Amino acid sequence: MANEKRLDFDAIADIVPTGARVLDLGCGDGSLLARLVEQKQIEARGVEISETKVRAAIARGLSVRHGNIEDGLADYRDGAFEYVILSQTLAYLNQPEPVFREMLRVGQRAIISFDNAGYWRDRLRALFGKGMGNTLCSGEQRVRAITLDQFKGFSGQLNARIENAVFVSGRRPVYFLPALRANVAVYVLKKA
Amino acid sequence: MIVKTQYVTFDQELKLRSGATLGPITLAYETYGELNADKSNAILVLHALSGDAHVAGRHAASDTKPGWWDEAVGPGKAFDTNKYFIICSNVIGGCKGSTGPATVNPKTGKPYGLSFPVITVADMVDAERLLIDHLGIDKLLTVTGGSLGGMRALQWAVSYPDRIRSAIVLAATARVSAQSIALNEVARQAIYADPNWKRGDYYDGERPNVGLALARMIGHISYLSETSMREKFGRLLQEREQYGYEFNTEFRVESYLKHQGLTFTKRFDANTFLYITKAIDYFDLSLGLSSLAEAFRNVTAKFMIVSYSSDWLYPAAESEEMVRALLQNGVDATYVEIKSDYGHDSFLLEVDRLGGLTNDFLARVQKPHPAPKHKK
Repeated sequence: MANEKRLDFDAIADIVPTGARVLDLGCGDGSLLARLVEQKQIEARGVEISETKVRAAIARGLSVRHGNIEDGLADYRDGAFEYVILSQTLAYLNQPEPVFREMLRVGQRAIISFDNAGYWRDRLRALFGKGMGNTLCSGEQRVRAITLDQFKGFSGQLNARIENAVFVSGRRPVYFLPALRANVAVYVLKKA
Repeated sequence: MIVKTQYVTFDQELKLRSGATLGPITLAYETYGELNADKSNAILVLHALSGDAHVAGRHAASDTKPGWWDEAVGPGKAFDTNKYFIICSNVIGGCKGSTGPATVNPKTGKPYGLSFPVITVADMVDAERLLIDHLGIDKLLTVTGGSLGGMRALQWAVSYPDRIRSAIVLAATARVSAQSIALNEVARQAIYADPNWKRGDYYDGERPNVGLALARMIGHISYLSETSMREKFGRLLQEREQYGYEFNTEFRVESYLKHQGLTFTKRFDANTFLYITKAIDYFDLSLGLSSLAEAFRNVTAKFMIVSYSSDWLYPAAESEEMVRALLQNGVDATYVEIKSDYGHDSFLLEVDRLGGLTNDFLARVQKPHPAPKHKK
């Protein structure tokens, strides 16, 4: 997981401009935000549900709110952030839709990254009766599998425009057949 | 660490929220560590209901106990006296050297008693500001405290937003709940019911110690949690093997509370207990406003708010309410709910887990935000 996470970190660090105001939902130990502060001098805020991870993020010099992102982002003002990030947290949400809507209200843009459940190895595993691959086998509750097509359909429903999409496999970007070949997808959404 | 309580008297009269005035005002305070050349490392530690200026160290090497938060204030501790200049003062209305109901009123030559004006948390903070002015400090690095101390940290951010860079608020609330007021009122009734109280006019006779001890016992219950009581006392009996079938102190929890009550009467004044609990009951930052968020409109300080999972006196939900109101104003607010079984007392006991947080937070407050080199 730790290595895979870094795959989308590179892409996100490329997307976020210098000095931006950024909110990271489910920021974990703050490694992504800390990297963005270091490389892009962003103004960073995080939300994280685990006390241990909140402490780790505070130790990295970050401003983090201990809480559940599904309890609402209602207290953040409209457009308070240039980017709201949901990095590999989507699969843990009970109801992604209200979170997406709030991300697009609070942020001028939303960056959403997730493991592509349509990745060919996962499809093979599913074919051979071993479930839908990494995400479903991880043992976490409520973890759902998402394919790129499902995500695209979903963002259409939200009246959001996909402004940018980056697909990563291993350490390399994927340009050809991402729905099959990408491990991780990173989408930038903007309200249509 | 040997420290000495200092005193400063302000001749001016302080205008109180009630409309009354109070003065001259003496404040008892202690300081630890060194104020740096640009006076940017000063931290004001704010005590809770029963605390005083003596936050850490000892007055004499022979003292059996150090100050009330010695675990958190000292070299290398949560508030590191090697790095920071720590100030702690006794509140007005107090009984540990600052002007309070036991002080002799210069106009009458007699102790104030109940002629002492009713004070609020905001009045306490106004007096603390006089001290910070006196010490020549323009901007405090942080104000911090738990419980009533946390309330004053919040009040500092609201009353004097330009005088603090940050606030660390522990186990507190921005509006005291009906449940807390109820407990305070029962405790006050215990004092009123003591025949020695004599409407506060007892300084030349017997003290209302029975009432004060009972008040403290009630308070102590609210500082613990069901779990901590079960683990600390369970159904254990104190110095006996079986029930006596009589009205004596039998259970260990009874013995503990009785001891706490009795010890308290040796160091605390009943009228001060009345005045401070009243100030707590009045504490509501949203008073007269449409929302709590409106109260934080001018706040510029960075905040760290810490709650404790088993605190039922000022529950985590009340800290979250504060955090939400701060975020609505775009304030930089860090929030942590520490999982702990010690109830409200956690802020005094979970010091190891607090230390990392305060040091990391203060390091960030002191670090200038890196200026963006260029916009993409």
